Amino acid sequence: MEFLSLLSPLFFLLVGVGVVIGIIFGAIPGMTATLAVAVCLPLTYGLDLTQGLALLLGLYVGGISGGLVPAILLNIPGTPSSITTTFDGYPMTLKGEGEKALRTGIISSLFGGLFSAVILFLFAPVLADWAIKFSYIEKFLIIFFALTVIASLSKSILLGIFSGVLGVWLSLIGTYDISVGGNGDTRLMLAFMEPYLENGFSLLPVLIGLFGLATILDEAEKGIQEDSSANRIDLSAQSRFSLKVFKGQIINLFRSASIGTFVGMLPGIGGSAASVLSYTQAKNFSRNPSRFGTGEPEGLIASEGSNNGLTGGALIPLLSLGIPGDSTTAVLVGAFTLQGIQVGPLFISENAATWNAMMVALLVGNLAMFAIMFFAIKYIVKVITVPKYLLYPIIVMMCVVGAYTINYGIMFDVWTLLIFGVFGWFAQKIGIEVAPLIIGFILGKSAEVYFVKSLESFGTLTIFFTKSPIAVFLWVLILASVFFSIYVAYKSARKAQ
Amino acid sequence: MHAFACIECHCRGCGVDMGERINSLFSIKINFAESHTFFPTIVTCVLFLLLLVIVLVHGIPFIRKLRQGGGKISIWAENFDKLRFWGTMLFTIFYFLSMDYVGALFPNMGFGFLIMSMPFMLALSLLYVHNFNRKKIVVIALNSIIAPSIAWYVLGNLFNISLP
Repeated sequence: MEFLSLLSPLFFLLVGVGVVIGIIFGAIPGMTATLAVAVCLPLTYGLDLTQGLALLLGLYVGGISGGLVPAILLNIPGTPSSITTTFDGYPMTLKGEGEKALRTGIISSLFGGLFSAVILFLFAPVLADWAIKFSYIEKFLIIFFALTVIASLSKSILLGIFSGVLGVWLSLIGTYDISVGGNGDTRLMLAFMEPYLENGFSLLPVLIGLFGLATILDEAEKGIQEDSSANRIDLSAQSRFSLKVFKGQIINLFRSASIGTFVGMLPGIGGSAASVLSYTQAKNFSRNPSRFGTGEPEGLIASEGSNNGLTGGALIPLLSLGIPGDSTTAVLVGAFTLQGIQVGPLFISENAATWNAMMVALLVGNLAMFAIMFFAIKYIVKVITVPKYLLYPIIVMMCVVGAYTINYGIMFDVWTLLIFGVFGWFAQKIGIEVAPLIIGFILGKSAEVYFVKSLESFGTLTIFFTKSPIAVFLWVLILASVFFSIYVAYKSARKAQ
Repeated sequence: MHAFACIECHCRGCGVDMGERINSLFSIKINFAESHTFFPTIVTCVLFLLLLVIVLVHGIPFIRKLRQGGGKISIWAENFDKLRFWGTMLFTIFYFLSMDYVGALFPNMGFGFLIMSMPFMLALSLLYVHNFNRKKIVVIALNSIIAPSIAWYVLGNLFNISLP
């Protein structure tokens, strides 16, 4: 019960503040939970690990949940994971059921979030215990598996693989670190770059650039449009919400939350995939599939139940294997790095108090999200009207603080922010996917150490196939994901014909 | 690739049996002095290979379409707002340069951040706003002064975070 001493009033306050800021970010179209976590990361510099995680987990839960507000009221998904919320949420608003839709979505989100937190609590320690037995070979194969999964579920398999490998390549720039058994020499750079890139690109400026500055550039390119329809929202004369809407939806709720949690566990797969999959399944199993898309609460429940299910699911591979489940948890890696903690199989056993505090933060975060959104929905709606011309300059300023302070004041990190901001904006144009790139970037250096050290020890490539039954099992998973991706590509090519 | 070297013998007919010869195909010895380039070389090769496949799969059909007049090369959005995009780039670069310069005049005070964030935020907000009116300008001006001041005080003074 050591963790109880960590649960100070400040801890709960930080969760609440995180949820509120997260909801604001999620509710503003174009801004995501990932951006919220990236921008607010500097605030954790002055906090200890538990307090920092309380804030960031609050932001995560709030950011994912806030996306339903513009999705339902404006037909604009606040976050990519609320795409399917628009399908039935907005038609409900048009029918005068906006408030009912919002509250239905909020309760579904709460259920999805709590369900995934329970799965995280039960499953992550088991997976971590199993993963502790892994040698460098199995660890390398796990990373290889993660990259094949990312690629197989990307929009384009080829570009997905390319993005992941590019991320790995970028992570290798700099010194082959002596602390991990390297020879201390630099690589992948010209001599004049050595003073700046000796330690490679820092993770946080890269993340903040790709998710923060790139978003601003993307919006600037489109002219920073203000949505005037947001000012016309009025929930006062709408049909009231009743819990009866959930009658007969228990299976839908469980199925959607399970899909969200499972998809969250797969590295690099965004919430949009979870909500689309869940919505499609709800439609397939529904008695009234024809009503989907016309303002059917069943579709809304499926969408919101799954995208909040993602939160706990995405933390499972992060906390048990050290592999981020989505882009937001990739940013959370930065928070751990900042506090000198390495996430991986040993994290839970060596940081039991922090792990328990994280579970409390997730639980409280979901309850706070529910309380804030359910009872203050009329005020939350006003968030959509915050002008972007005030908000975006603040975001750029916070991005600068985040990048500059990560290494205690190195200006090159600020330039890294700009480089990756421009790169992130440009990458979307040419089809490079940011999530696989980031996961490749985070895992690249570890992959190198596991691969090279395994070969140095055993001297043969066959060891990757013959080391242990776990290695064989991982190869089966890798081949399964490769065949799955080929099957999906073949199926979609036939459909296109 | 200089980092690779077979650890088995390379000659034929030396009495090494088939199994050992196959094993030797997969044998790799990594020279420690060159080990920093071993993995990056593999990743670079894979990256180029993938690039080649992408060009073959996506590039060639696109060029063919382009020649037939069915496609266009443009990375810009359809309603590309040149002023706001290039303005953002320009202001941001100037902000970073000036912040570093002013920060060097007052080391460890965070004044580079505080002093330069105010005009930067003002300029960016004015660049982004549509339909100017007096109320908007007053709000923008207040936001440009208050937001950096709060950030500087809370982060720099209360949390002791390094600022430029």
